[in-house]
Amino acid sequence: MILLLPAVGVMVLLAVALAALLQFSVLEFIPGSLRTGGLTTRNLDAVLTPLYLRYIWDTVLLSALTTVLTLVASYPVAYALARSRSARVRSLLLVLTLAPFFTGAIVRTYAWMLVLGNTFIRWPVKLLFEPAGVLIGLVHFSMPTMILILAAAISHVDRTYERAAASLGARPRRVFWRVTLPLSMPGVASGSLVVFAWTFSAFPTPELLGGGRVKMIANVVKDLALDAFNWPGSAAFAAVALAVTFLLLAVVTRALVRTGGAAA
Amino acid sequence: MAHRLVVSLVLALLFVARPVPAADPLVVSVWGGNWKDTIEKVIARPFTAKTGIPVEFEVGGTLDRLAKARVAKAAPLVDITFTTSHVGRLYMSDGLFQKLDMARLPHARELAPEALRSDSHLGVWAYVYTIAYRPDQVKMDITRWADLWDPQLKGKVGMPDFDPSHIITVSALLDGGDERNWEKGQERLKRLKPNVAAFFSTDARSQDLMKTGEAPVQVMLSINAFHLIEQGLPVKVVNPTDKPGIVGIDTMAIMAGTRKSDAAHQFIDLALSRDIQEQLVASFKAGPTNLKAVVPAKLRGQPGVFTTPAEWKERGYIMDDETRARTLPAWKEWFNASIVAK
Repeated sequence: MILLLPAVGVMVLLAVALAALLQFSVLEFIPGSLRTGGLTTRNLDAVLTPLYLRYIWDTVLLSALTTVLTLVASYPVAYALARSRSARVRSLLLVLTLAPFFTGAIVRTYAWMLVLGNTFIRWPVKLLFEPAGVLIGLVHFSMPTMILILAAAISHVDRTYERAAASLGARPRRVFWRVTLPLSMPGVASGSLVVFAWTFSAFPTPELLGGGRVKMIANVVKDLALDAFNWPGSAAFAAVALAVTFLLLAVVTRALVRTGGAAA
Repeated sequence: MAHRLVVSLVLALLFVARPVPAADPLVVSVWGGNWKDTIEKVIARPFTAKTGIPVEFEVGGTLDRLAKARVAKAAPLVDITFTTSHVGRLYMSDGLFQKLDMARLPHARELAPEALRSDSHLGVWAYVYTIAYRPDQVKMDITRWADLWDPQLKGKVGMPDFDPSHIITVSALLDGGDERNWEKGQERLKRLKPNVAAFFSTDARSQDLMKTGEAPVQVMLSINAFHLIEQGLPVKVVNPTDKPGIVGIDTMAIMAGTRKSDAAHQFIDLALSRDIQEQLVASFKAGPTNLKAVVPAKLRGQPGVFTTPAEWKERGYIMDDETRARTLPAWKEWFNASIVAK
């Protein structure tokens, strides 16, 4: 029982912080002042307008696209990492996968700014400061984690099943689609959930690669709080976004666990 | 016995090794990078030499520091704050600044009237938000604010989105309004959208965009433009002929509740003295607020550098701090919805 105390302490702290956020969201904003007025629902009314709801929609869309593209780009690498017969290839892939963790989000994003801009490459379409550029940055940022989760899942797939399928005449492609992929679905589910959840709260990537034109929820919270000094409005938007996050995570978790669970 | 000897020796060593207690340091809140380095070199070191009081710095962005000051209101973490004049109004709205004792600031009598922003914060240097551009990447001469709307600049203009007050005011001024009736410039500003390449949220990003050529024409802080020129980048800083640049005044104030009010007044007075002002001008390429300060010949007449009461009035447009602080949230919302959003 005593071992639970630290966890309970952290939960209480989080609950207090959340309560403070909710309290701020219903206090009146006084432009030109840091003081707040009495209780009001105006902040919530203001953020439930098309302008702010669009930012939430954009975030959902970018998070979903990032999850799908990251999964598609990561699976082959994870498969090679888990199944390559060459220890050298596995080591190389592992180093390449882990390397981005040591560079940090800001450095990686600045590197993408140089790549996506027109400094070194003349792209036929504009990528920097566009949703496409932000998407590329988010996918790259998410890939290492997805690869590691998928590789762990694939390496746990018992190869006896694959050999059994092959011995019954299934070609390698059919073995992959009917045996390996379904058995690795728990990894697909948990990797997708992790990537979706953290992309939903992404800040530096859309801030830098979006050039102010592509904003996700965290960027708008910062805009309201630190640029417009509208802390009650920022708290109201954060509260709405938090509610949407919980709702989406519940839906996505249910869908993914069902898929993963069925496969497992 | 041996034990006592060891304890005595250790205590003696500790006593001998104990550093001489320094005076309680004055803590100054300021922007990072070149801002902090220059203030440390030009103001803090002479201050310490003169008073024996060491100076420590707390660095951060304008609004991060405001947020910090607010949560530490009961026991301020800093004694002096450098901030922009309209953000100073926000500090004042929450009682975070103390009223200055002008009798203890003799050099304040030499300030341009525009630098006396309130009885709690005083201007220490000035600059303008104006047009800066790279002539190697833009095929036209830019001489007026109205040139920003030229179709030749399609997809080339960068501007701040963290504080769109400058371009909103310019747009209003061009259409016969000002910051108080800014709505007059709304339609004009909407027409600028095709020319906008990017928005930036920090000075560093603004400079990056200029360096990489992603946004070779910008509504830019004159000090940053001069800094890029010093680094060898071909940048032209425009003194617009149709409407003046929008003046920014950085200010100093003493935090309410500080126990070092005397030292803080001495620091501010020193920063306003002619000699220190001249060094600040040379370092930042900014305008002095002390009218007695002598400006190097090559800086005279440059955007944001005002040396006489007449220049302060004619060569820059100073927005009303109160209006700006009060209207900025509405400006931000309108700007995000109408200009930033596609």
